[in-house]
Amino acid sequence: MDKAILEALARRAGLDKALAQFPEDVAAAAAQAEAVAGRIKAPADPRAEPWPSMRVGNRP
Amino acid sequence: MTDLHWMTASAAAQAIAAKELSPVELMTALLSRIERLDPKLNAFLHLDATAAMDAARSAEAEAMAGRLRGPLHGVPVGIKDIMDVAGLPTTCHSKILQDNVATADAVCVSKLRGAGAIVLGKLSTHEFAIGGPSFDLPWPPARNPWNTNHHPGGSSSGSGAGVAAGLFAMALGSDTGGSVRNPASCCGIVGIKPTYGLVSRRGVFPLAFTLDHVGPMTRTVADNALMLEVLAGHDPGDPGSAATAHRRYAEGLKGDIRGLRVGFIRHFHEVDMPADPEVTAALEHVARTLQLEGAEIRDIRLPTLVEFGAVNRVILQSEAWAIHAPWLRERPGDYGQLARRRILAGAFFSAEDYVQAQRRRLELIAAVDAALGEVDVLLCASSMDPACRIDSPADVERTYSRQARTPFNVTGHPALAMMAGVSTSGLPLSVQFVGRNFAEATLFQVARAWECAAGTDKKHPPIV
Repeated sequence: MDKAILEALARRAGLDKALAQFPEDVAAAAAQAEAVAGRIKAPADPRAEPWPSMRVGNRP
Repeated sequence: MTDLHWMTASAAAQAIAAKELSPVELMTALLSRIERLDPKLNAFLHLDATAAMDAARSAEAEAMAGRLRGPLHGVPVGIKDIMDVAGLPTTCHSKILQDNVATADAVCVSKLRGAGAIVLGKLSTHEFAIGGPSFDLPWPPARNPWNTNHHPGGSSSGSGAGVAAGLFAMALGSDTGGSVRNPASCCGIVGIKPTYGLVSRRGVFPLAFTLDHVGPMTRTVADNALMLEVLAGHDPGDPGSAATAHRRYAEGLKGDIRGLRVGFIRHFHEVDMPADPEVTAALEHVARTLQLEGAEIRDIRLPTLVEFGAVNRVILQSEAWAIHAPWLRERPGDYGQLARRRILAGAFFSAEDYVQAQRRRLELIAAVDAALGEVDVLLCASSMDPACRIDSPADVERTYSRQARTPFNVTGHPALAMMAGVSTSGLPLSVQFVGRNFAEATLFQVARAWECAAGTDKKHPPIV
């Protein structure tokens, strides 16, 4: 991930302290997230719902 | 009589009920073993010896008067330190919660106490059930009793190490990406991740709400079944709790699997993540043995482990980040490096990543349900390797994701891991059985059949 984007995302997430104290950990976490998210096969059907579906009322 | 430290929970409970064994005698034997071995194993973060002995004396008096609290009367249990025990610290093995003391029992702890079990203390875990094994925390990581230079698995590390070493016959673990089944695999014991919602999570520090499960860890299948019988049940205070009829798992546990259809998922360990050859051989041996016991073995294909793993990681780390964000913003230095890196990843997923993972999850659930429409039980790898050295960060990193446990956190199906053999290097090898939702009884039957045929319950680590 581009360093400027990484820093902007980290600051948006409120991670200024982590960025200052543990920049390598923040970079490793961002790289990990990027790699993992790229492996998700999003459903092709636009109607495919996420789990769990919304349900109302008390359910045993 | 069997050495008291190798006595099963079921046998101990029966002997106590028959007034043939004193809970005080059992507790004395275990505390003595803990005193001798735990400095090498680090299974305990907090041993509550005085209270445990007081409880054993009360249990003895009650048993002598014929008043038994339940099926675990007088039997000691260890509790993973992310679960609340009233009056004891719940640290989650982290500096962040070093001074946190629980005011009430978690529901799972309360159920065990109600059945007569005695809490010994709080057990080592990976930090917040995700960051480990770590050497930069206030307490050292637990070690594997089969070889203390090796990792006992995690995150329920102390539970696995302590049960395997005979410090106690039963322990509680939690499982979000395999944390009951990993230590069960590394330490050669029995661990089940029950169906999502079968056991209450109330009073257990969350790692990821939609993936967290509480499960029993024991040396035998019968003990595991007995413990789950006590733990299972609807809890209106846990929004994920399922309403199911109470089932008896331990009764009639004969291991008769004649006619049972077992689906063998070979591609997990042959193609997706090629396993250590000894693991592959052990899995084939389990399948052949079950066939000889009367089961029908079929090949089954599911989506790849990489897909299941990615869905698990996106959901787990996103939910964990939501929980830990305030602390990670203000106190990042109070986390160990492994937990910090793993949880921080959640800050970098987008809303789309999380929703797409949850949409794909529904398809993965359907795929496993379809497979379980063709067979009664699935058989597959748990760990692809025997336990790695604990002092090698590179080995820990390499083997961390080489497993087939996360699929069933994603889908919620019950999954049990247990010993499949012992490697030439003297470390346990493992197998995993997976069942239909709420069909834990069938899993126990298959596991019992394998245990009887292979004698896995008689194999103990060389630690003395």
